[in-house]
Amino acid sequence: MIENGEPPPVVFSARGVSKSYPGVQALTDLDLDGHAGEVLAICGANGAGKSTFARLLAGQEAPSRGEIRVAGHPRPVTGPADADRAGILLMHQEPLVIDDLTVGENVWLYRLRAGRDIRPWSRARRYDDEETLGALRKVGLGEVPVDRPAGTLAPGQRQMLALSRTKVTPHRVLILDETTASTTEEHFKEVTEMVAAERAAGTAIVFVSHRMPEVFALSDRIAVFRNGRLVGVLRTAETDPEQVTTMMIGDAVRALQRPPAHTAAGRAPALAVQGLHAGSATDISFEVRAGEVVGLYGLVGSGRSSVARSISGQQPLHRGTVQMHGRDVRMRTPSGALRNRVVYLTEDRRKEGFVDDFTNGENLSLVTLSRDTRWGVIRRGLERARVAELIKRFQVNGTPETMTSTLSGGNQQKVCLAKWLAADPDVIVLDEPTKGIDVGARLNIYEIIHDLSRQDKALLVVTSEAEEALLLCHRVLVLRDGRLVGEVDPDTATTEDLIRAALGGEAA
Amino acid sequence: MTAVTKESGDKADKADNATGAAGAPPPWADRGRAWLRQQYPLLILAALLIFASAMSDAFLSTRNLENVVLQMSVVGIVALAQFIVVLSGGIDISVGSVLGLACVLSAGLFGDTSVALAVLAAMVVGAALGAVNGFLVAFRGLEPFIVTLGMLALARGLVYAYTEGIPVRPSDPSFTTVGTATVAGIPLLGVIWIAAAVAVAFVLRRTVFGRRVRAVGSKQQAAHASGVPVRGTLLMVYTLAGLLVGLGGFLLASRVGAATPTAGNLYELDAIAAVVIGGASLRGGRGRVFGVVVGTTIFGVITNLLVLLNVSTFLQDAFRGGLILVAITLATLGRRQDRVSG
Repeated sequence: MIENGEPPPVVFSARGVSKSYPGVQALTDLDLDGHAGEVLAICGANGAGKSTFARLLAGQEAPSRGEIRVAGHPRPVTGPADADRAGILLMHQEPLVIDDLTVGENVWLYRLRAGRDIRPWSRARRYDDEETLGALRKVGLGEVPVDRPAGTLAPGQRQMLALSRTKVTPHRVLILDETTASTTEEHFKEVTEMVAAERAAGTAIVFVSHRMPEVFALSDRIAVFRNGRLVGVLRTAETDPEQVTTMMIGDAVRALQRPPAHTAAGRAPALAVQGLHAGSATDISFEVRAGEVVGLYGLVGSGRSSVARSISGQQPLHRGTVQMHGRDVRMRTPSGALRNRVVYLTEDRRKEGFVDDFTNGENLSLVTLSRDTRWGVIRRGLERARVAELIKRFQVNGTPETMTSTLSGGNQQKVCLAKWLAADPDVIVLDEPTKGIDVGARLNIYEIIHDLSRQDKALLVVTSEAEEALLLCHRVLVLRDGRLVGEVDPDTATTEDLIRAALGGEAA
Repeated sequence: MTAVTKESGDKADKADNATGAAGAPPPWADRGRAWLRQQYPLLILAALLIFASAMSDAFLSTRNLENVVLQMSVVGIVALAQFIVVLSGGIDISVGSVLGLACVLSAGLFGDTSVALAVLAAMVVGAALGAVNGFLVAFRGLEPFIVTLGMLALARGLVYAYTEGIPVRPSDPSFTTVGTATVAGIPLLGVIWIAAAVAVAFVLRRTVFGRRVRAVGSKQQAAHASGVPVRGTLLMVYTLAGLLVGLGGFLLASRVGAATPTAGNLYELDAIAAVVIGGASLRGGRGRVFGVVVGTTIFGVITNLLVLLNVSTFLQDAFRGGLILVAITLATLGRRQDRVSG
């Protein structure tokens, strides 16, 4: 709708904006405009400055130099109060949802901050009226009761709940900061509809993402960031993902090779699951052989995480047997799984991946520390040597003394993975191993996974990205509504086959 | 999306790291600044000592200093116990009552016969009550505050029931030896306190158990998911804390020469305050033993100074309470800046 004729009015404009933190220049001399009724995608690898820009625009931090102005607001945006008054709405990567409030109350959360009314006798807004229900319906949550605690929602639903606030909060600029990173394919339709509605209402939309399919499906223009600089603004209609990726990365591109599965014929499978019932998973049976990467693909709520967690001691297993190398094993706790040489890389890195107050060294020792001890006393020389070796082997950015919580997502993930691999497991269960990490680190993780397969480890990879499942795995199992509905050969199948199998439709 | 050079990815990550860290220039400067920021309790203590010696001539006299050490030592050991619990993400408000029960039982049961058995009894009583706390917190998943609140009332009630409100006086004269002896001019109690601090510091910094305590305190879910035995660790934490508190109970009886029914009353306040003033986070996972020792000393000096300056006993508690609030506010000033820049 903006292709021809006069350009739509400018809603926000950044002029000469720089942001530096002690020791690092996060953004340098940025000039960028946002127009009414237009979706501006911001692309770049992690650390390219795209989230910094989102924070500056939303007034969460003030620029070191330069200014951001919003049409109709008298002063540059430098703080949250400015952004609030200028009508800037930021949607975070991790949905801002208060678990103990109900779904309806969460819709109106931003109402709590408006005007900073602290009179204790002000009455709260109704949260079960038609307006609330309408907002929820528009984001595909019409079925969810408004008085249900928000903490019980699935991750995708939480994100949509956060997005429902766009319907009840007046705004002129909407920033979606990696918002779709935690919504899987199933909610994409609602996101698309929401963006279309916002566009029609004349909102300037800023869409921060590094997922090319979404960027191309939603945006009108693409601004590419690299190392804190704007390297170019492209019209979406006139470019392709290859060009954008090349601009993001800087130079030539390299393809990923999947090594053939070299399963030793005749040996018992490293992992055999029979009739497993756990959480939402019902009657699941499958095998993983040594040297094989098996994918577990399904939508949110299909039971994929229940399978992964119950075979690695993270969640109780109601019924069914798990065999390793032909022997029955029972694993009721993570440490029990570890004794059976099964490890689980969590999907929720921040919640259960690493300890906040720990350094890299301490986090890397979390699993295997008791091996470097005598009478319960840590032998520091041994620990230091092992940690240094892990950091080198997995190319973790940072020293053993760096706090893991200050690393980028990709490096945190490497720490989480390395801490388990230090235990030299036989079966490795990876739950969304590339969730929320950028392309460069993603490739690192893929390479690590393929290396492990060459070392005859049995790998089970849970993923909600069809593309990743096909790229990474030797076989892909598809789950739907807690049941195993098919197996797909990545060499012949397409992403569409996989998605269709997961959704239902025709059997795969 | 699937094809990428590794080098640029790494570079991007590096930029990201630096954004997160406080600053890049010389690491030693950073570390020095970080160290200084952690040492503010030491600065408070230094200022306090100067103030104290200026205000009162008596403060620096050998006799008074000896007195200060005697008064601090028992609270200091209780603060160490509290610190272990706080580091694991919990809180133990039953320390004062448990100390009281250990105190009267050890004096009452073995005060006339054997000092060794009295020490043992005190520690067993403390550890047993601590284990009950630990069991309820770790295996029943109850809030530490509520569990130890119940224990506070229970233990104090038992103290009154056992003593019927009358102090227990041990008849064995050697009972008071530990509490009154000096080693090279320093009260033995102080030596025991510092030895306990060194031992606790060693356990927390150098053993697997200590590492687990910090992991559980900082993020229990991550610790559990990584195979750390969370419940066992918590049970151990409360038991160990109880053991130290029990020891404190005996030492108090030994110093005073009697076990009063009010022994240990409100020690939980002093212990928690010492831990927090020493820079530990009440949310768990963060803090150091040295800070706890300094925190205890700050408290001991203030209490002593109030006595020397003839402040009325009624006002003393108010003073100390006010000083806790001031010190905690100062302590969090530095931390909040941390959070914003990080």
